[in-house]
Amino acid sequence: MSALGASPARSDADAKLRGEAVFGADLTRPGMLWAAVSRSPVAAGQIRAVNTRPALAIDGVLEVLTAADVPDWRTGVIVSDTPFLAADYVAYEGEPLAIVVADSRVAAEAGASAVVADIGPIVPISTPEQALAPGARLVHPEWNRFAVAGGADIGRDGNVVAEVVHDPGDLDAAFAAADLVVEGTYRTPRQYQAHLEPKMALAVFESGRYTIEVSHQYPFRLRDRIAQMLAVKPSSLRVVGHHIGGGFGAKLDVSVEAFAALLAQRYRRPVRMQHRALEERLVAPCRANALVSVRSAVRGDGTILATEVEIVSDSGAYANNGPALSAIPMFVFGSIYRVGTARIRTRNVYTNTAPTGAYRGVNGPWLVFANERHMDAIADALGRDRREYRLASLSQDGELMRNGQPLEEVSILHEAFERVDELAPWHAISERTAASKSSGDGVLRGVGQAASVWLTNPMPGHATVKLNEDGTATVITSATENGSGAVATGLRQIAAETLGLSADDVMVTMPDTDATGYDAGSQGSRTTHVVGRAIADAAAEVRHQVIDHAARMLEAAPDDLVIAEGTVTVAGVPAAHLTLGQVAQAATWSQGPIAAAASYVTPTPPHDPMCATGMLIKGWPTPTYHLHQAEVSVDPVTGRVTVDRYVVAQEVGRAIHPAALAGQIQGGVAQGLGFALSERVDIDHGRYVQRTFKDHGLPLAADVPKVEMIVMEHPDSAGPYGAKGAAEPPVVPVAAAVANAVSDAIGAPIDTLPITLEDVLDALERAQ
Amino acid sequence: MAAAGGEQSVSIRLVVNERPHVLDVGAGETLLGTLRERLALTGPKEACCEGECGACSVLVDGAPVASCIAAAGSMNGRTIRTVEGLAGAGELTVLQQAFVSHAAVQCGYCTPGVLMVLTALLDDVPNPSEADIRQALAGNICRCTGYQQIVEAALDAAGAASL
Repeated sequence: MSALGASPARSDADAKLRGEAVFGADLTRPGMLWAAVSRSPVAAGQIRAVNTRPALAIDGVLEVLTAADVPDWRTGVIVSDTPFLAADYVAYEGEPLAIVVADSRVAAEAGASAVVADIGPIVPISTPEQALAPGARLVHPEWNRFAVAGGADIGRDGNVVAEVVHDPGDLDAAFAAADLVVEGTYRTPRQYQAHLEPKMALAVFESGRYTIEVSHQYPFRLRDRIAQMLAVKPSSLRVVGHHIGGGFGAKLDVSVEAFAALLAQRYRRPVRMQHRALEERLVAPCRANALVSVRSAVRGDGTILATEVEIVSDSGAYANNGPALSAIPMFVFGSIYRVGTARIRTRNVYTNTAPTGAYRGVNGPWLVFANERHMDAIADALGRDRREYRLASLSQDGELMRNGQPLEEVSILHEAFERVDELAPWHAISERTAASKSSGDGVLRGVGQAASVWLTNPMPGHATVKLNEDGTATVITSATENGSGAVATGLRQIAAETLGLSADDVMVTMPDTDATGYDAGSQGSRTTHVVGRAIADAAAEVRHQVIDHAARMLEAAPDDLVIAEGTVTVAGVPAAHLTLGQVAQAATWSQGPIAAAASYVTPTPPHDPMCATGMLIKGWPTPTYHLHQAEVSVDPVTGRVTVDRYVVAQEVGRAIHPAALAGQIQGGVAQGLGFALSERVDIDHGRYVQRTFKDHGLPLAADVPKVEMIVMEHPDSAGPYGAKGAAEPPVVPVAAAVANAVSDAIGAPIDTLPITLEDVLDALERAQ
Repeated sequence: MAAAGGEQSVSIRLVVNERPHVLDVGAGETLLGTLRERLALTGPKEACCEGECGACSVLVDGAPVASCIAAAGSMNGRTIRTVEGLAGAGELTVLQQAFVSHAAVQCGYCTPGVLMVLTALLDDVPNPSEADIRQALAGNICRCTGYQQIVEAALDAAGAASL
C-alpha cells in the first residue's frame, strides 16, 4: 500500500493534543537568567542619553547593556544597516536601546520598562511617499556607508533601499497605437503574521561554543546572523529547534537570539529571552504596505500592447529582505496574463516604521491584487465578460516571463478555469449577481476571480536516512515543522514510500545545525519539494543497500527482490523473505549500519540575466498554478461584506497528504480573507495604531467559510513523487478575488485594502 | 505573565487535574503563571496575555477561562482542568482523537485552549450545531487552520459521543 495520497497521523499530533509538546516558549533551564529589551518609545529621534539607573535599582536586575557595551557594527541579511543596539539615533518605535539582564523574568521586564531614554524628537518619515518626496530627510544619513552582501548593485539611493528596473525600451508607440488606456492605483496595508507563540531564545555558552535553543523557521539563517552580529564563526554556534507555535515568515530572521547569546557568554549562565505581547506586535516583520500603479495600452480587441507598472513598497527602518523581494513583480506581471511590452519599476523604501519582512506569499497578495483588479478594470472598459477576457488573455505554454524564463505549464491555468466552472459556473452565478442589483432583497451580490503562478522556494536542503536495527527508519534533517505538516507527515511519507515502510515506521528529528547539512527553513513551500527530494534520493540509496545485503543473505539476484510493507521478498518465492529489521541487524554487524545522505537545491530556471537591474531573485522555480473564485454579498445599508462561497483550484504536482493540503488551503484562504476584509495594521506618524491583539481584526471561526477545493496534480519531474510546493500559495489570490467580487457587487471599484464598511458605503455613494 | 509578582502573597487551595494543591501566590500572579511556573503544566500556552486569543484557556469549575488574565489569588476552592488533564496518561479523548483524524492540529499552539473550550461545549451541549461550535470558538484564534478541520473534528466527536 502506498504511503502517499493517504493522510496518516502527524508524528507530533499526540504530543500537541496532550499539551506535552515543548515549544520554544516553554523552555526553561536550571540557573538561567532572564533578559528583556528596552525599546524606543518614539519612531525617530536623536539619542541624547539612555538612563539605566532606574532599572538597576530594581531588585534582581544584574546589569543593563547599552550601545557602548555591545558590538558597534551594523549587520543585515542583504544590507548591513542594522545596529546591535541603537547608538546615535532611533529609526522606529520599538528599536532596541538597551538589554536588561536579571535573575528573574519579572525583574528583567520591569527593568526594561524602567530604562529612561532621553531622545530628541525628529518628525518621523511615516510613509514611502514622504520618504520619496524631494528633499526628504534621510532615514539613515550614512546609508551609503552600509555594506551590501556580495557587493551587489541593488540601486540604493538615499531612502531607496533597493530598486529593480525592467525597461525593454520605448512604450510611447504602443500607447499611441492604443484604442484605450486603462490606469489604476492599488494600495494595500501591512499584515501582521499573528503567530501565537512569541519569539524567544534560550542561549547557553559552554566549552567555547554557543547553543541557541529556539522555535525558529530557519535555524541555519539564525546561526549565520548571530555569527555576523557577534563576529564569531558560524560553526561556533549550534542552533537547536523546538516545536514552533506558528511563524508565517515572522520567524525567519534574528530577533532576540543574538542578545541572549552575548549574555550567555558574558555571564556563563543560560539566558532566556522572550518577546512581551506588545513588543511582539511592535517589531513583527509585517507584510510590507505597498502602492502599485498600473497603466495599460489596450487595443479594441482586448490585446494589451504595453503595460507600465510602478511599485513602491515600504521597507520600514531597515532593509531586511526587502531588496530580494523587490524582484517578485517581475514574476507576477506578464506571467499569468499577457501584458504586452512591460516596463516594471519597483522601489523598496526606508521609513521610520518597524522593518517589514517575510509573510507567507511574500509580496504576492498585493501584486496579484493589483494585477487582477486591473484585469477587471480593462474588461469593464472593453465591455467584456471578466472571465472570458481573462481566458482570452492567459499566457500560453512556451511564452516567456519578464525575466526571460519560459512558462512551461501555464496552460494548467486553462484547466483551472474549466474545473472551477464545473463546480461553480460563472455565467449562472453572474446572472444571479446581476439580478441582485435590480431586484430582490436589497442585498448586492458579486463574483470575482483571481489567478496566480507561484513559486516553490528552491533553496538548499539536506537529509540523512538511516535504517534502524528494528527495521524502522529515521530521517535526520534540520527542515523545520512550522505547522504545515511538511515534516510531521510529508517527509516521513516520502521516506516510507521509497523504503516500503508505513509512515508510522519513519521518525524525523528536530532541527540541529550541528547534526545536519544546511537547510533553508520553512519558507516558500520548499520543504516537501526540496527536502523531500533529498530524502527520496537518500532513501533510494538506503534501499539499494538493503537490496544488496538481502540478496547476499537470500542468495538471490538483486533484481529479483521486492521491498514492501517492511519485508524483502524474492519475487515469486514468498517463502524466501527477510524483514527489514533482519537485514538491518545483519548488515550492521557485518558491513556496518545502513544509512545514506543526500542534498538538493532546485536549479535556477533558464532566464535572461540582463532582464532587469537590481534583481537578487533571478528565476521563478517549480511554479504552481492557482485560480480562486469568490462570491460575496454586500449589505448596502451597513456596507458589510459576507463571503458566501469560496472556491480554490490549486495545482500541487502531487498531493502527498490530502488532509494536510486541505488545511493549508483553508488556512491560507482564511489569512487572505483577513487581509481583504478585516485585518488592520495602520500607521500614524510612524507608530502602529493597533496596540492590542484584539485590534488587529484577525478572522474568527464564525468569519471563515468552508473553502471548496479542486486539487490538480501535474507531477514535477524533479520533485519527490512529483510533489511541488503547496502550503504558501493559497493566501496569494484571496484579496484580489474578494475585491473583484465586492467591486462587482457594488458596481464601483475597490482598489484599497482592507475593504472596510466605510469604503464600501463611500464607493456605493460615488457609484450612484 | 508573572509567577512572582508583588510582595504580598495569598494562600489558596485548589484542585488541578484532580490533584489538590496548597499554594502561596503573589498578588499580581496570573493563573497561567501559577500553572506553568509553579505546577510545570505548560500545556496552557502563553500568547497574547490579553485574554483575546484563547491559547491559555483552562476550565475553572467546568467553564472556560482565559488563564492569562485570571488572578491566581481568586482560585481558592476552585477545580481547574488543563489540557494535561483531558487524557491524563491514558487514551486520547474522543475529541482529541477526532483532532488527529481530521488533521485539526497544525502548529498546535492554539490546540490546548481550543480543546478545553470544545470539551466544555460538548459537556454542556451534547449535539451542538456547526454554528454552536463556531460561536463557542469566538475567543480562540487559530492562525493556521482556518478553523474548518477543527469544526469538523468537534462535530465528529459530538456525533461519536452521542452514539
